[in-house]
Amino acid sequence: MRATSPMRLHASARVHSISSADSPDLPLRSSGQKVPALRTPAAPGRRRGLPRFLVSLLVLSVIWGALTDWRADALVFGVPAVLLGASVAFLLPQGYAWRLSPRGAAPFALWFAVQSVRGAIDVAMRAFAPRMPLRPGFRHYDLTLPMGAPRVMFINAITLLPGTLSAEIEGHTVIVHMLDTRIDLDPALDDLETQIRALFALPQNTEASA
Amino acid sequence: MLEIVAASLIAAGTIFFVAGTVGLLRFPDIFCRLHALTKADGLGLALIALGVAILAATPGAVFRIAIIWFFVAVASATCSHLIARYARQSGARGQHD
Repeated sequence: MRATSPMRLHASARVHSISSADSPDLPLRSSGQKVPALRTPAAPGRRRGLPRFLVSLLVLSVIWGALTDWRADALVFGVPAVLLGASVAFLLPQGYAWRLSPRGAAPFALWFAVQSVRGAIDVAMRAFAPRMPLRPGFRHYDLTLPMGAPRVMFINAITLLPGTLSAEIEGHTVIVHMLDTRIDLDPALDDLETQIRALFALPQNTEASA
Repeated sequence: MLEIVAASLIAAGTIFFVAGTVGLLRFPDIFCRLHALTKADGLGLALIALGVAILAATPGAVFRIAIIWFFVAVASATCSHLIARYARQSGARGQHD
């Protein structure tokens, strides 16, 4: 029985492709069996609760201290607020683990500053130009960065690059709005991806992403 | 000397805020307007924050200004994404109706 089940699944998939309306429960079962195999690679990368609580506690304490100039009487509000914030970080669903590379951070900050200045000057020139040179439209870009902080950072940074704005995410594709669709989207976003891989100490993607 | 540098940065920042507002008024649709608001106003705030940080006396004040800039930058990129996504989804629904 156990040994024949792959064959049965295969047969049901073929039946499904011929007459899809007849047996909707069979393909559901076969796709349900795939889910654990997809989920396991993500599991080891998750962060543990207690270190996350302590890190949140430390970061929030420093922010509170800096905001109030380390005044002792402000701690009446500060201690409950910091404890509450760190507990929320502890109770929220755990995100994906990530780490920053100190060597990638400075080049990224510099590159990002230059790009956001270019982006702002570009959009300001278009706004002030009497004929307003715009050719807006949407383009797609395939996401290859891992889930979590690298991907969130990538999607937020798209908005600050010249002429691009992340409009929607559909699965592993980001839909980018462009002010001028005559400009090629891929080189700019490939650059950004390379920078973010360096920032998060991720291996570089050797094959060019479509 | 520092006052002149700070004043120039704040003046340049104001120009970018004006550019963002002009873009908001002139650009044809919601997506182009979001470009103007996120990019031009983002740099405008960064320049004003830099100018004010030069004038600020204490390291605590500089740190506070940096925190403000950081959270505004993250929030503006995230909000513009949410607005664009809502516009796309509600717009697509409108076409089907």
